[in-house]
This record gives sequence, structure tokens and C-alpha cells, in this order.
Amino acid sequence: MNQLSNLGDGFLTVLTPMNLLWVFVGALLGTAVGVLPGLGSAMAVALLLPVTFSLDPIGAFIMFAGVLFGGLFGDSISGILMNTPGNSTAIASTIEGHKMAQDGRAAQALATSAIASFFGGTVAAILVVFFAPSLARLATHFGPAEYLALAVFAFVAISAVVGESILRGLTSLVIGLAIALVGIDGMSGASRFTGGMPELFDGINIVVITVGLLALGEVIAVAARRGTKEEAKLITSAGRLWLSRKEFRLALPAWVRGTTIGVPFGIIPVGGSEVPTFLAYGTERRLAARKPGNMFGRGDGRGVAGPEAAGNATASTAMGALLALGLPTSATAAVLLAAFRQYGLQPGPLLFERASELVWALLASFFIGMVVLLILNLPFAPLWAKLLKVPRHYLYAGITVFAMLGIYATSSKVFDLVLVLAIGLLGFGMRRYGLPVAPVLIGVILGPLAETEFRRTMAVSEGDPFALVSSPISATLYIVLALGVTGLLVQRSRARKKEESRLMTPVA
Amino acid sequence: MTTEPAPGRGQSEFLARRTGLVMPALLLVAGIVLAIGTFTMDVPSGVASPGPQMFPAFISVACLVFAVLLAVDVLRNPEPEQVGTGAATGDRTTERTAETTESIRGPVAPAATPDRDTTATGELPATGELPATGGADEAATRIRSNRPAVLGLVGTVIVFIALLVPLGWIIAGALLFWGVARTLGSRRPVFDIFVAVAMSSSIQLAFSAGLGLNLPPGILAGVF
Repeated sequence: MNQLSNLGDGFLTVLTPMNLLWVFVGALLGTAVGVLPGLGSAMAVALLLPVTFSLDPIGAFIMFAGVLFGGLFGDSISGILMNTPGNSTAIASTIEGHKMAQDGRAAQALATSAIASFFGGTVAAILVVFFAPSLARLATHFGPAEYLALAVFAFVAISAVVGESILRGLTSLVIGLAIALVGIDGMSGASRFTGGMPELFDGINIVVITVGLLALGEVIAVAARRGTKEEAKLITSAGRLWLSRKEFRLALPAWVRGTTIGVPFGIIPVGGSEVPTFLAYGTERRLAARKPGNMFGRGDGRGVAGPEAAGNATASTAMGALLALGLPTSATAAVLLAAFRQYGLQPGPLLFERASELVWALLASFFIGMVVLLILNLPFAPLWAKLLKVPRHYLYAGITVFAMLGIYATSSKVFDLVLVLAIGLLGFGMRRYGLPVAPVLIGVILGPLAETEFRRTMAVSEGDPFALVSSPISATLYIVLALGVTGLLVQRSRARKKEESRLMTPVA
Repeated sequence: MTTEPAPGRGQSEFLARRTGLVMPALLLVAGIVLAIGTFTMDVPSGVASPGPQMFPAFISVACLVFAVLLAVDVLRNPEPEQVGTGAATGDRTTERTAETTESIRGPVAPAATPDRDTTATGELPATGELPATGGADEAATRIRSNRPAVLGLVGTVIVFIALLVPLGWIIAGALLFWGVARTLGSRRPVFDIFVAVAMSSSIQLAFSAGLGLNLPPGILAGVF
């Protein structure tokens, strides 16, 4: 039970006034960006990256963890009360949650959602504590070929699942890979696509890319949509903020099921919490249809409980996979990986040895963060919804100022400001024409790694391509990947057929 | 494109619904630049194979391939002619659209898109009933672009970049805040000046004095 004593040490690190403050600040910020539609944890962490550089890494990372989970707690608040999900991860729980609110049960919907987030996140974090070290030990046996397989796995998985079409996902991935090529090639020293500009020798800073794509791109997209958006109506939530015993009994199995669905999705990279939340929603809906008392369509608490638990469970295990394997499975995880690199740390098997204090403090901060978030969200959810009244133009003006501040502060180069504007325009174009942004980040971050590992493998094997698949681990990864993509294609075409037949015969 | 309700409005109409071709064009340029850069790269001698040119060559080919594929996709699936409280198809109010999008996305995985790659002809009715996915509110508002606002915002950022070093953070930052708020629809320009100056000054205090970040003082160098 080495893990427990390590976790105990982690708790001791976090339970200092200063670190508790960071957990609290992270939770506050995370909930705020979660509540506000269009803003997400990934953008928040990207904006915080440059300005937290002078903090010690432990303080910064426990704050980032707070932001990550806070985003997942907060995003359902605006979904339930306004029918505008704060993030794509809350779309599934918004469907029933908003119907509950219209039915006068907003408070119960908010409570169900907050407890579900807490439950899913905590249970998954416990699993991470027990299994991440073993996963890291397993990963120490990984060589270049295995890492290449992991990177390819992440590329394909995120491109296939995140976007609305595989073509668009892969296109985004290629954009990311192309951006990552700029700079001096680490293995040979050749200068690539720098145009002879010394500013580009180190490549395009990852902070510039994340801030440009996630923050500035979003601000420009907001400007482009100006005048086309209708004001959504805010439903006020009144009444008790706790669940009756009956509601609790109904919701508990849904929390458990949601968590069970969410946990594996953090480890296999499918790009974030969208898929598990929808799977959980579908499961609850189907299960409810079999029994009497089915409230789906009129606001069923289980439709909120399942997806919310699944979303947070996925986020927890995704952090475990990031720490143990160095494998980012979503845009937020990719930004966090960039954060680790900023501090000169490389997530992966060695992190547990080299920075074990940080790792365990981070894991402990998950639990503390969950408790803080539950306290912040359960009684104060209606208060958070007031944030939606902040005028949008001030909000986005503030984001622009922070983005520029962060970029200039990291490098003191005006050139980076020009770059961030260019990448922001790219991000806007991608949003405008339906190209997902997450694969770009994964491509930028894992592209150089994939190239290096590929060239290493080929160099060691003297050009024998079978070296790529000769080890059992990498072969397994490629087989799982092939099966997964095939399954996805089959499921998509089946879903499409179902949609078509459903559109023919409209059901109420 | 015989199914379009108002045929023969000419080339500009055809292109107006396919401005998405910008992205494949961008990819095309990127692919060509990468290809030229790969061929003309100075490779240090004695580099182990595969060298620094292999991966860029691969990416450049991928750029070109996806440029073509994406262009075909955009040509086949043009954006709906009209959005919002649609006059095009009678029953399409935006609210309704958002609701259908959600209920459709419900039991299926969110990525499932019925309207993409299905209709080879890109018939308008099909795209009309099922507008682009990607968030409930986005579906209704994604199509239209407010060009003056975008230009104003980008212009403000360019002015900020040009003035940051000569004028210093406080003035340039305030200008940035004010300009962005203005292009995003703030109607109180005088009040905004105060908000903007307060914002940039407090950032200067908190981050420059507090966290030790390096911000350009500009013409106010002597004052602080």
C-alpha cells in the first residue's frame, strides 16, 4: 500500500494555506469558465500558463487541476438554467437538466449534477491513485516503437472522435503536425521552415499556439457571430438544494453507471468527455424506458446524473493517463502537457520517480478540489449563473488583453504577438468552417515526439519497417486502434441509418 | 445543384455559400510551401537515415491530399442559403433548430453527423432540416459572419501590437481593451475608457510589480 502513504504525503503538501489557496482559486476560475459558454478549461489553463510561470510548479498544477474539474462542475449550470451548455461536455446533461428546470425542479437538477460530478470524479481519482503507478511501471518498458504507437493512437483517436467528420479531424491533425515542423530539427540540427528567421529556430512556442487557437480564435469567432445571437432566458432556481431520499435512491445507480462508463474513456484516448457523456445519457434513457416512472423527455434526474458522473470520471482517469503515460487524450490534457513541458517536466513513467512530490500532491489536490467544488457549487449554483450577466464585450475584451499580456510576458517578443494573431485567425477559420481545434493541439504536441521515435526506431532497426510492429505492446496498440476505428465507422453508419429512418417517422 | 430554389443567381452566389474553400486553399499553400522547403533544405552531412526531410515530405503530401478532400467536401455540402428565422424553409425557427440538433445528438455519439458525406448531391432540403452540428447555439449562428466586427477586432489587435513597445503596456493595453469592447458591441465609449485604463493599470501593478513579469513601460517609463 505504497500508494496510500504517498497520497498521505501529497495531502500534507497540499494542506498548507498557500496551496489550499491555489486549489480554491483554481476551483473558482474553473467554475467561472465552465459556466460561461464558449470558455473552457483548456482556454483558461492556456491563459494562465504564462502568468503562472513564476509560481512553483506544485502551486501551479494544483490550480490547473482545480480549473480542469471546475470547468466540468460549472458547465452544466448554464446548461440546466439557460439551455446553453457551458461546454460540449455538458450537452448530454443539458437535455434532461433543462427540462427539469422548466418543470420547476432547477434546484434538484443542479444538486444532482453537482453530486454526480463529485461522485464520478472522486471514484475515478481513487482508481487513478491505485493504478497509475502500475501503469507507469508498465510504461517504463516502452521503447521508441511503443511510444510511436501511442502517439499514432492518440492522433487517430482524437481526429476520429472529436470532430464531426473523420476527414475534418484528420485535416486539423495535419495542420497541427505542419505547425510543429517549424524550427530546428533536434536530431540532425537542420533548420526547417524557419525562413532564416532566428525567432523561429526554437519552433513556435506552444503557449502561442494554445492561446492563439483557444483564446484569440474564440474571441474573433464571437465577433463574427455578433448580432446573430438571441438572448437565452435564465430560469431562476428556488427551493431546496438537496435531494430527497427518493431522488437520491433514484440517482445513485445512475451515478455509479455513469462513473463506470466514464472511467475507461480516460485511459483510451478518444478525446475528452463528449463520447462518454453521451453514452451515459443513452444508457440511462434506455434503462429508464424499461421501467415505470420514466420521466425522460419531461426532465429525468437520471439523465443528468449519468452524464455528469461520466464526464468527471473521464477527466480524472485522463489525468492518470497523462501522468503515467504522457499521453494527452483531450484538448485540456494537451494544454496541461504543454504546462508540464514549460516547467521542464515530461509526464510519463519517469515523472513518478523524478517528481513524485508533485505527482502525489496533484493527485491529492484532486480530492480536495472535488470537496471545494462541491461546496462552491451545491449551494451557490444560482449565484454562479449570475456570471452570465457580465456583458460579453467586457468579458472577451478582458480575455484578449490577458492573451496578449501572457504572450508578451513569456517571451518579450513582439514577433510572438504577430504569430498569435495569425494563429488566432487560423483558429477562427477553423471554428467558422467546422474544423475541430483539439487535433491541432495534439498534433503540435505529439508530432515532434512521433517523428523522433519513428526515426529512432528506424535507425535502430536499420530501416526495417517491421520494427514498428514487432513488439507485442505496439502490435496490440495498432490492433486495438484498427478495431476501434472500424467499430466507430460501423456505429456511425448505423446511427446515420437510424437517424434517417427516425426522420421519416417523426416521434414526439 | 438543380435542387436549389432560386437557380441561376450566378457565380457569386455559388461561391458565397462555399467560402469554406478558404481552408483547403490554405492547406494547399501550406503543402506547397512545405514541399519547396523540404526540397531546398540544407541537410547537415552524415545524418542518420531517415533524415530531417522524410517527415516534412510526408506532411506536405498529407496537406495536399487533405486540401483536395476537404475542397470536395465543401463543394458537395455548401452552407445553407439562409439562416436564422429562416424564410427558406417555413418551419425553421432558430429555436426549433437548436432543439432538433440536441435531440438528434441525444442517444447517438455526439460525433455522428447525419448531414455530412451522406448526400452526394448536396441537396438543400437535407442540409436545411439538419443544420451543422457543433453545439446547440452554434448551429443556428455559425453561418453568418459579421465582417465589420471581425475586421475591427483584428485591426485593434494590429494597432496594439504596433503601439505596445513605443507607448508602453498601460496605454496600449487600455487601447486594446477599449477597442475590443467597442467592436464587440459596447455602447458606452467614454465609460469604457475608464474601465480599460483601470484594467491595464491593475494588470501592470499585479503582474509587473507583483509577479515580476516584464511589461514594456513605454512613454510612461518615468512615472512608474
